[in-house]
Amino acid sequence: MKISFLIHNAYGIGGTITTTFNLARALADRHEVDIVSVFRHRETPVLTPDPRVRLRPLVDLRHEEDHPDRLRPARVFPSAEGRYGQYSALTDRRIGGCLAGSDADVLVGTRPGLNVHLALQSPPHAVRIGQEHLTFDHHSPRLRTALRRAYPRLDALTTVTEADAAAYRRKARLPGVRVEALPNSVPDPALPPSDGGAHTVVAAGRLVHVKRYDLLVAAFAAVVAEYPDWRLRIYGGGEEHDRLRTLIEKLGLYDNVFLMGAATPMEAEWVKGSIAAVTSDFEPFGMTIVEAMRCGLPVVSTDCPYGPAEIIADGVDGRLVPVGDRDALSAALLGLVRDDEARRRMGRAALDNSRRFAPGPVVAQAERLFEELLAARASGRPAAPGRTGHVLSGRGHAAKDSALVAASGVLRTLRKAGR
Amino acid sequence: MSQDRSETPRADCLVDEEGRLTATVRLPGAAHPGLLLRPRPKKGGPQEPGHRLELRPLAEHHWRAVLEPAPLLAEGRWDAYLLEGPGDEGERLRPGLLDLRALQRGRTPGRTPTPLAVRVPYTTRDGFLAVRTWLRAPHAEVDALRVRDDAMTVRGRLFGARLADGATVRLVRRGADRAVRESPLHHDGGHGFSLTADYRDLLDERGTGGGGRPAYWDLHLHLAPDGPRARVGRLLDDVAERKSVFVYPSTDLDGTPVRPYYTVDNDLAVVVGGA
Repeated sequence: MKISFLIHNAYGIGGTITTTFNLARALADRHEVDIVSVFRHRETPVLTPDPRVRLRPLVDLRHEEDHPDRLRPARVFPSAEGRYGQYSALTDRRIGGCLAGSDADVLVGTRPGLNVHLALQSPPHAVRIGQEHLTFDHHSPRLRTALRRAYPRLDALTTVTEADAAAYRRKARLPGVRVEALPNSVPDPALPPSDGGAHTVVAAGRLVHVKRYDLLVAAFAAVVAEYPDWRLRIYGGGEEHDRLRTLIEKLGLYDNVFLMGAATPMEAEWVKGSIAAVTSDFEPFGMTIVEAMRCGLPVVSTDCPYGPAEIIADGVDGRLVPVGDRDALSAALLGLVRDDEARRRMGRAALDNSRRFAPGPVVAQAERLFEELLAARASGRPAAPGRTGHVLSGRGHAAKDSALVAASGVLRTLRKAGR
Repeated sequence: MSQDRSETPRADCLVDEEGRLTATVRLPGAAHPGLLLRPRPKKGGPQEPGHRLELRPLAEHHWRAVLEPAPLLAEGRWDAYLLEGPGDEGERLRPGLLDLRALQRGRTPGRTPTPLAVRVPYTTRDGFLAVRTWLRAPHAEVDALRVRDDAMTVRGRLFGARLADGATVRLVRRGADRAVRESPLHHDGGHGFSLTADYRDLLDERGTGGGGRPAYWDLHLHLAPDGPRARVGRLLDDVAERKSVFVYPSTDLDGTPVRPYYTVDNDLAVVVGGA
């Protein structure tokens, strides 16, 4: 098969880029794979794509920043999409041209706006797959309405969790579209796993509010009070950096809690720890959870929507604690800090249980999906039966979103009038 | 589409508890490749010859070089180059996976050879592989630092010597405006010590280093009045550049901020005044 991924910007850093590179690399063993990056802002990508995977940019911001068509608004890319501001008549044209001329058997979009492009502009022979790396519920009513309109022209929509797949089936009403959970994969680590002996807790992610590192730092104070030789390392950069630094100082944790800056790859950093922590209010998947488990670390995570509970078996290979509950987080961390044997046992379980996220099983599922969709398209069958059972409830959700959109439209008008 | 980044040779590095550095490079087709560690010249200084290591075949396309604990490398920064054959100018290596977990376990004074030699592979700001080295005899390692009541207290261990009565800590103000403050050192008669630096002792009549510019004070342990001295620093883990990671609180002293910090060489210092 010839498979082509369409991504916002493959030259940066982030979960979608990592997981797309991982899947592309695994598929490249048996297929011809390329990645089309709408934007390029630097010579070489921060993360390294597999050399067999061709990377192709459409708009090079280093030379085309001032292209006149960048000032004209996009019409294909939906205006309710978070990245709308970066899209323009230029991207509409380049993406449209790229899709129309594509000879790929399978086209894969990696964010809602690009999935819409795929739905509307793909050539007839190609299988169109939209990937949702966030969640349906996380989108604005306006975007949900736009997706309900465009997505029925997709062959399949993949989510990263079963919970989100269920949300799409229940609320989006996409007759004939196959909705399936396809988890992110994490490559087999090259380093030996953690031996569980280090007195270090590791966390990694962008330093933004939703990751709730403030909660983690506060919870870790209780660990330090009892075990002063334990350390917490937080890897990543972001807008919360200075606030976290202030909190660390205020709690007197400057010799125990460290803001390490961004590290790629994280693998060499995970193995220096013996426990990983994820304290987010929201994790569409929870890539760092899988990464840490694959390095042999038990993960203490909030049981936030949607990923953690589908990855961690509480008490077996990690711990799940209520969202935003500092004391529960402290208690779960202390439980593992205190008990060397439990920590090591759960670390070994994490290693075993996370193998289901290895590229092998995940790519096998993706290949099966692609092949079935290709066969269906060739024979003129729909990718999934038009569902009738859920139509009514789907309509209810659609109506609610339409009402919300209308109401927010009125509010915007009122706000504008008030200015 | 350029694929520079993935084609540039990378070296996976493993450092063990004795400081042995093993580098593995994936390299299709090479005759007698070598790995060159070239010391970064001091500003305006000459380029010293580098330290060449043999890359030996490990598996297909994989080569390995081992930097044994001996010989000792001079203190500084060493850029890693791949030499494809004799006479090759060399191409800078990029880091692969740097497995430094053994460094996290630290060292024990009684069981560490003197001089203390530390090697930490790291990624340079422009993305290349380099090795940070230290060579100290003796060395005063910071284990813990607390800031409280207009003073900082440091707990640490001395490597390469034993502590005895008469040992002191000296804070020395850098630059033309040199000044020295000396205070007693608390020790356990072996390797463990603690010291307290009162920030008020570091304020002079002008408050700071003079002219509103900050003053920088370096810390040394003096083992005897005329005896050897040890720089106080934190070298014994996997952090090559500590300055932005280990950040201590600033104390306001009548409008003058005072803050302990680690220098670019991971030595402990105190800055008085400035922002």
